[in-house]
Amino acid sequence: MSFDQFQSLNWSIMTPEFIILAVIAILVIMDLFMPKHMDRKILGWIGIAAILAAMVSVFGMAGGHVESILHDTFRLDSFAIAFKLLILGGGALVLFLATSYKATDGLERYTGEFYYLLLSALLGAMVMTSSGDLITLYIGLELLSIPSYILAGIQKDRLNSNESAMKYVINGGISSAIALFGMSYVYGLTGSTNLLEIAGQLSMLMDGQQAYLLGLSFLMILVGLGFKLAAAPFHMWAPDVYQGAPTPVTAFLSVVSKTAGFVIVVRILLTVFGSAATNGPGSIPILLDMQNYLAVIAAATMIIGNVVALRQSDIKRMFAYSSIAHAGYLLVAVTTLTSNMFYSIWFYLLAYLFMNMGAFAVIQVVSEKTGSTKIADFAGLYRRSPWLAVTMGILLISLAGFPGTAGFIGKLNIFVGAFAGQPHYVLASVMIATTVVSYFYYFGVMTQIFFRPAPAASEGEGEGSKFNLPFGIVVVLIVAVVGSVLFGIMPNIALDFMHNNLDIVQDFFS
Amino acid sequence: MMENAWLIPLFPLLSFLILLLIGKRLREASAYVGILLTLASLVFSILVLFERFTEPTYITKFDWLTIGDLHLTAGFEVNQLNALMLFIVSLVSFLVHTYSKGYMHGDERFPVFYAYLGLFTFAMLGLVISPNLLQTYIFWELVGVGSFLLIGFYFYKEEAKAAAKKAFIMTRIGDVGLFIGMILIFWQTKSFEYSEIFRAVEAGAVSQTMITLTAILIFIGAVGKSGQFPLHTWLPDAMEGPTPVSALIHAATMVAAGVYLVAALFPLFQASQTALLTVATIGAFTAIFAASIGLVQTDIKRVLAYSTVSQLGYMMLALGSAGYVAGVFHLMTHAFFKALLFLAAGSVIHAVHTQNIEEMGGLWKKLKFTGPLFLIGTLAISGVPGLSGFFSKDEILVAAWEGGHPVLFLLALIAAFFTAFYMFRLFFLVFTGEARGEQKHVHESPSLMTLPMLVLGVLAIIGGYVNTPWFGSFLGDWLVDGNEALGHGHIEGPAWIMIAATVVSLLGIYLAWLIYGKRSVARDWLSGAGGTLHTILLNKYYVDEFYQLIVVNFVKGFSYFLRFIDVFLVEGIVKGVAGFVQGLGITGSKMQNGQVQTYGAVAFIGLAVLAVIFALTGGYLK
Repeated sequence: MSFDQFQSLNWSIMTPEFIILAVIAILVIMDLFMPKHMDRKILGWIGIAAILAAMVSVFGMAGGHVESILHDTFRLDSFAIAFKLLILGGGALVLFLATSYKATDGLERYTGEFYYLLLSALLGAMVMTSSGDLITLYIGLELLSIPSYILAGIQKDRLNSNESAMKYVINGGISSAIALFGMSYVYGLTGSTNLLEIAGQLSMLMDGQQAYLLGLSFLMILVGLGFKLAAAPFHMWAPDVYQGAPTPVTAFLSVVSKTAGFVIVVRILLTVFGSAATNGPGSIPILLDMQNYLAVIAAATMIIGNVVALRQSDIKRMFAYSSIAHAGYLLVAVTTLTSNMFYSIWFYLLAYLFMNMGAFAVIQVVSEKTGSTKIADFAGLYRRSPWLAVTMGILLISLAGFPGTAGFIGKLNIFVGAFAGQPHYVLASVMIATTVVSYFYYFGVMTQIFFRPAPAASEGEGEGSKFNLPFGIVVVLIVAVVGSVLFGIMPNIALDFMHNNLDIVQDFFS
Repeated sequence: MMENAWLIPLFPLLSFLILLLIGKRLREASAYVGILLTLASLVFSILVLFERFTEPTYITKFDWLTIGDLHLTAGFEVNQLNALMLFIVSLVSFLVHTYSKGYMHGDERFPVFYAYLGLFTFAMLGLVISPNLLQTYIFWELVGVGSFLLIGFYFYKEEAKAAAKKAFIMTRIGDVGLFIGMILIFWQTKSFEYSEIFRAVEAGAVSQTMITLTAILIFIGAVGKSGQFPLHTWLPDAMEGPTPVSALIHAATMVAAGVYLVAALFPLFQASQTALLTVATIGAFTAIFAASIGLVQTDIKRVLAYSTVSQLGYMMLALGSAGYVAGVFHLMTHAFFKALLFLAAGSVIHAVHTQNIEEMGGLWKKLKFTGPLFLIGTLAISGVPGLSGFFSKDEILVAAWEGGHPVLFLLALIAAFFTAFYMFRLFFLVFTGEARGEQKHVHESPSLMTLPMLVLGVLAIIGGYVNTPWFGSFLGDWLVDGNEALGHGHIEGPAWIMIAATVVSLLGIYLAWLIYGKRSVARDWLSGAGGTLHTILLNKYYVDEFYQLIVVNFVKGFSYFLRFIDVFLVEGIVKGVAGFVQGLGITGSKMQNGQVQTYGAVAFIGLAVLAVIFALTGGYLK
């Protein structure tokens, strides 16, 4: 490729990625030349500004045609735009949390790195949404994962944090290896890494034996990516990692990382296995053939996530299991394989973004105050800080999926979707039953907040038991509550934007 | 103006929110917030009503929720019926807000009362502009909540607490019917929107059986809300609430919501003769049933409550006899004169501090305003020619006769006689003769209370002239304009019906005068002759006792049986399930032993299991 060719490419479709990349570079240099003891928070604010700018540029691209550059390895379609918005929104909220996070246990030496590592991970997630090639998908995945490993262990002086990072690296390594092994089968069968090319070749697949190999590769990719989603039984790293990591990182893992995980799952499963024929052209695609495996994993994830959450006494562990459960609900949407599934997954992740980010903001405030992350620490929160308590109440109601909140609409979408095509009665019943189970642990926290007396003013706290709410936290809480309620009452604000500007189904396969 | 009709319910909501937040600080000044904001609603409603006279129906909607191909909409609609209801509800609400400033003066929870009033008014106004069943249902339930809160306002009184509970449960029984009906309709027509439903019904997309079934199920909801037999027993008990509440909710607005619902879904009902006949029969029966109970009650508010039940029965009879105009017309006039009667009764209670009419008497001279106003209301409801009730009742009787229901017509005529009798019995016992109880410091109510009554008094007289056989049926023609399917604006009937109605009503008044006014006939000539009958009536046909005996005891017996199952069977299962879930949880957390190698092993085992299953079932060995 000559330089002229290189220049003539339509680089503008990568604007959001370039913005983030440039700011990462700037932050690295600034961090290097800033005096040792200067507050690094300014880097965080620059990062937030960069993310917002990137969001604006993504918004600007909505409604256009599908474009791709670099031999179709990078593509900009409606799917990419929709999920990039979620990822950037989540990233901005995480940075808000991070600027308000009290740096201790070694983090104080690395606050600068903290911000640009977070941005690097974000960049990886963005690349994942736009990949049209197995290679870029994998690079994006690793670009997301490696900074995440470091972030989990960034509190170097804390044993917990180190353990968390170690477990995350090992499990992440295993999962990447399995997924990659699965992808290698696909490459071996088709001789291509380009998703559309693979899809084209596989739709002509004649041989039942090859279909079998492809089925195996499907399972391996599913399992490998299942780690990222924290789907059962590949979820076991999640509670340990979530508990040990600093709270903003936990929020990042549970929201942004999970969103990226669903992006890659949908992208690979639908393009590669959605078009691969089981038995000659025109026969049912492998994906439909393998629907039951998806269903089993979805059901197991919902059950294990919700049931084990019942027994947790640590709020961050509880939220780890809760996030596993939410991944289960989302997998129900993936299993149904209707054209509406893009919208229901997207909307659910949007709702999840608000309610989970808000909840982690409250957790961060409370745990910084009490120095631990026990659920019992929430006792009497209503007396000590009514606004914080009511905020958490709204977010918990949304997480539980009560009418009037975005969480309800999200669940309703998925639930209705389960009957849209071929009805999945069992899956829908498991979803309802486990949702009921989830009320117990969400309302357990509510009981602590509203009906338990606050612990006697210990350690001479006295009247000082008021919470100080830094600006970043307030921003996150307002965004979270407004989003949860607004999209619960007027869900079509979001859905109309999707339907009017982004024709995902049309774009996805072209 | 009509495009801004959605603002009308928001004013009372604003009042509710303001009073919720700062009501405690405002104390009795809360009333001004409520009064001003409902006045704004009233002004807007009047503007909307006048605009609707000349402009076509305004409807706007937007997609509220889209799931795949499923579009649920929300919005509002201003058609003739809705515009009229907006006016009635906001007018009565405004007057009650004003009246309560005097009536509730000195109450400890004064701001709370106004906050609840605001909530209720919001829900009711929202209900009458809903363009689809789902939205209607949401407001329908909210109205129920408002009513529950207001009936139980004196929650420290056992009776009030029980009455609130009873009202809520009884209406909920009806709501279950409405809910099922609504879901069935949605299932059949794929839409909650009224216009879509009517289109589907007209096009024959819904089977006849299904139309009848859904219409009757929806009617069950209306039966609960509008206190029709057999779900009427909550309404008299609801009189435990403050009297202005009785005027607003249990006379003019909420109890009329059932009638409104049937009217709003009238094309659906029209499509099924069976459904219409059911509505008419239940209506006529309720009319005479409740009127006969009203003959012997001694609590001033209870007499009015049974009278309300009876009048609502009239409205249902009208709708069931295809007299759309007659039903809506009577809904309007009834709102005026019954609200007037309740407010006047409140004024009487305010003066003598008792509700027992046996302890009243001779109040005509002491209550210079209330007396004549009460008389106007009484004349109107009795159907004395010239007042509003006369015209609307006549329309209903004509509709019943022309609809081909001679038996129901006869029942309604007898009920009219009863109505005239018990209303004048009430009037004579309260206002004429000598004071029977201890009456100290009897004084007229403040003008804040008499002025709203005056407004209603004027409307109770002239309200009927918008639709008369003599001066033209303006209201009727307007109501069916552009929608001839609803029936004719005016049903032509034989002249003898009007004469018969007049004679019957005057006879009732004359008999009441003989017994309670002139006292030339002994009071107990009837109860003496038919003592049993009197006792039966006094005990309201023992419906409550019947429910107690049969329903409650049956339920109790059934519950013992269930309890038996519960203790030995269900509890076992529940314990089993809970234990299983707990055990699963324990196992799950035990697996979570913190060892990375375990996690990896579990994952590999998981993958291996999936691969083996795949090999055995779908893959290699196939």
